[in-house]
Amino acid sequence: MSTPDSEAPETFGEQFLDDYFAECDEHIAAVRRHLLALDQQVGEGRIDNALLDELFRSFHTIKGISGMVGFREEEQLAHRIEDTLRAVRQGDLPLNMDSIDGLIESVALLDRRLSARRSKAPLPELPGEEPAAGLSTNSAAAAIGADPLLTFSIEFTPTLALAERGININSLRARMQEIGEILKSTPKVKGQGEISFQFQVRTHVDLMAVPEWNSHGLQTKPDTVVLPDIQRPAPKIASSNVVRVDLVRLDELIRMVGEMVTSRARMEDQVRQARKILPSVEWRTMFESTQTMARQLRDLRDGVMRVRMVQVGEIFDRMQFVVRDMARESGKRIIVNVVGQETEIDKFLIERLMDPLLHLVRNAVSHGLERPDERRSAGKSPEGRLTLRATTTGENVTIEIADDGRGIDLERVAERARAMGLLGPGTPMDNARLLEVICYAGLSTRAEADRESGRGVGMDVVKNTVEALTGTLTLSTERHKGSRFCIELPLTLAMADVLIVAVRGQTYAVPQSTVREVFEVDPSAVRAIEHNEIIAHRGGALPLFRLSEFFNLPGPKQSPNGRFHVFVTGTGTNALGIAVDRIVGQQEIVVRTIGDSLVQVPGIAGATDLGDEKVVLILDVPALRRSALHERMTSPGNQQ
Amino acid sequence: MLRPLAKTAHVLVVDDSPTMRRMIVTALRGLGSVKFSEAGSGLEALERMTLTPIDLMILDLNMPEMHGIEVLQFVRAHNTYSRLPVVVLTTRGDETSRSEASASGATDYMTKPFQAGELLQLVRNLLPENKES
Repeated sequence: MSTPDSEAPETFGEQFLDDYFAECDEHIAAVRRHLLALDQQVGEGRIDNALLDELFRSFHTIKGISGMVGFREEEQLAHRIEDTLRAVRQGDLPLNMDSIDGLIESVALLDRRLSARRSKAPLPELPGEEPAAGLSTNSAAAAIGADPLLTFSIEFTPTLALAERGININSLRARMQEIGEILKSTPKVKGQGEISFQFQVRTHVDLMAVPEWNSHGLQTKPDTVVLPDIQRPAPKIASSNVVRVDLVRLDELIRMVGEMVTSRARMEDQVRQARKILPSVEWRTMFESTQTMARQLRDLRDGVMRVRMVQVGEIFDRMQFVVRDMARESGKRIIVNVVGQETEIDKFLIERLMDPLLHLVRNAVSHGLERPDERRSAGKSPEGRLTLRATTTGENVTIEIADDGRGIDLERVAERARAMGLLGPGTPMDNARLLEVICYAGLSTRAEADRESGRGVGMDVVKNTVEALTGTLTLSTERHKGSRFCIELPLTLAMADVLIVAVRGQTYAVPQSTVREVFEVDPSAVRAIEHNEIIAHRGGALPLFRLSEFFNLPGPKQSPNGRFHVFVTGTGTNALGIAVDRIVGQQEIVVRTIGDSLVQVPGIAGATDLGDEKVVLILDVPALRRSALHERMTSPGNQQ
Repeated sequence: MLRPLAKTAHVLVVDDSPTMRRMIVTALRGLGSVKFSEAGSGLEALERMTLTPIDLMILDLNMPEMHGIEVLQFVRAHNTYSRLPVVVLTTRGDETSRSEASASGATDYMTKPFQAGELLQLVRNLLPENKES
C-alpha cells in the first residue's frame, strides 16, 4: 500500500498512462464521428448544437486528463480546440468547410502527438498560432426539424431493491435511448425529501401500451404539452457500463482457455481408451460428461472471444476522412456508403487491417473513381460511389471495398505481366490471375504510382497481410462499372477449427476456414497436362497439388488401393485441389506461430498440440496456393 | 493529522472521465478505510446519493446531461444534503466556473491538474470526523 504522500519513483500521473491513452482514443474516435456528421450538416445548412456540445466535452476531458498526466502541449492543443468550439457555439465564429477543416487538422495533429507519446517517438510540431477563423454570425436556427412524435413523461424513483436488479438511471436511460430520444431529464425532490427523476421522452412507441414502463419504479404518462423548445438529445453511449481491459490480460485468458481445450481433448482420448476396462453404463456416463464439457468449453471460448471484438465502424470513420481529404484535393465528388459498421471483429485483426484497408480505399479514390466530367460523359452520375461494407457469415467476417469507377483495364495489365514474365504468353487474364499480378511486388511503375496510393503499403503488402491473417483477398472488376475488393477473415486467430490430414505418415492441421470442400479421388481420375495434374470436378478442371511432393516426403502411400483425399481451397478459376493421403478428422486447436525465423518453413504457418503432447504443424494454405499458382501461371513452355 | 479515519467514510466521485475518476480515487487512497462510489454523470450521482448515504462529494463540472453546477444547486436545495461537503474540481483556465461554483455553494474547489497530496489533504480536512481536529 503506497500513499500518494510518499515520494514515488514515477509521477502520480504516469501510472494512469494506459487509461489515459485508451480514453483519448475513445474521445478521438467519437470526435471524428461527430466532425463527419457536422461536415455533412454544414453542407445541408443545419447544425445540431448537441453535436457541438459533445465535441466540446470530448476536448474538455482530453484537456483535463492531459494536464493530469503532465502532457502540457496536448492540454493546450485541446484547450485551443475547445476555444474554437466555444466561439462557434456562441455564434462568434461561423461553422463552414474551412473551420471544419481547421478542426479536422487539429484533431489529426492531436492524434499524431498522442500516438507519438504512446510509442515514445519524436513528437510532431505544434503550430504556433491559434486556428485561423473568419467572423460572422452563426444562425441560431439549429433546432432539429421536429416531427410531432409521441411524447411521454416518465418518472423514476430509484430504490436499492431496483438497483440490485440492475434497474438504475443508466440502464433506464439506455432503454429510453433505444426507443427514442430523451428530451429532458431533471431530478425532483418529493414530499419526504425522496429524490426522483423526471424524463421527457419522444418516441414512436406507445409506452402506455407497454406494461414495463409503468412498473419497476416507473410512472409513465402521455405528455400533451407542446414543447416550446427542443432540448439537445442525450449522448448515445452510456460509457459508464464499459470496462476497459488490457489486451495482454485477454490474451492470457485465451491462452488458458486454449490449454483447457487441449487438456479436454486429451481427457476424451483417455476416456475412449477406458472403454475396454469400464462397464459400458459407467463408461457412457463418463463419455457424455466429456461431451458436455466440450460444449461448455466452446461456449466459454466464444464468450472470451467476444470480449476481444470491436466494431469496424471506427475504422470506417477513419476511411471517410481519408476519402474526404482526397476528394477535395483531386476535385472528385464521392459519396461514401458505409454498411455494417456495427459488425464486430477481433481487435488484433482490426489493427493489422488498418493499413491494407487504407491502401485499398486510396486506390479506389485515386485510380478507380473518375472526375465528375469524365463520369458525366460516360453516362454516370457525377458523384462517384465508394462502398465500405462489413458482414459476418458464421465463423468469418468479410470486409468489402467497392467503387463504381472505371474498373481495371485487364488487357493493359496482361500486357505488362507478359512483358515481365509473370503471365505465360498463351494464358488468358481473368479476375483471379489479375489479382495475383497486381499484387506482385514491383509491378506498378513509377508513372502509375501517384502520390495518394503510392505511399505506404503496396498491393503486395495488402495481400500478404490478409493472407498472414489466414484470410483471403478477392477482386472482381468490370470495365467502366467499377472494382470490388473483398477481404475474408476468420473472426479470430487465437483458436481455429482444423482438419487433421495425414501424408506419408506425417500429420498436419489445415485451418477449416481455408477449405471449401473435401472429397476422395481414385488415381485413375487424375490427368496429366504438361507438368500439371488435373482432375475433373464439378464440370471443370481442378489443378492438383500434391503435398507429398511439395514437402518431399518419402515413403509409400497409406492406402492400398491408391485412393486419396483432396481438399479444395479457393473458388472459380482460382480453385486448387490439395492432395493428401487421408483426412483423419477435425478438431479445435490453439494456434502457436513459429516465431523463430530460422525454423520458418515455406508452407507452414504454425504449430499446435492435439492433446497427445505431440506437436503438429499447421499448413499455410495461402502460401501453398501461391506456390501452386505461380507454377501454373508461368507453366506453358516454362519448366519449374 | 495524518492518522487514518476511524469510521468508514463514503466518498462519491463524480466525473464523466473514467481515467479522471481513477486518478481521484487513487489520490484519496491515503484516507485509509474510505469507501468510494463513482458516478459518470450528474443524474447518476444523484441516484447514488439517494441509495446510499455519502459523506463527501468530489464533483466535476463539465458533464453531459446535467452540469456539475446544476448538481451542486440541486444538492444545496435539498434538506438532507444542504451541508454535504462538496469539492468542485475545475479545469485550469476556467475561472468563471470556479466563481460560479463558489456562488452555488461549493465547500471547496481545486484546479485540474491537481496534486494528489493536496487533494488528499483538502478532503481529509473536510471529512466530518476530522472537522474538530
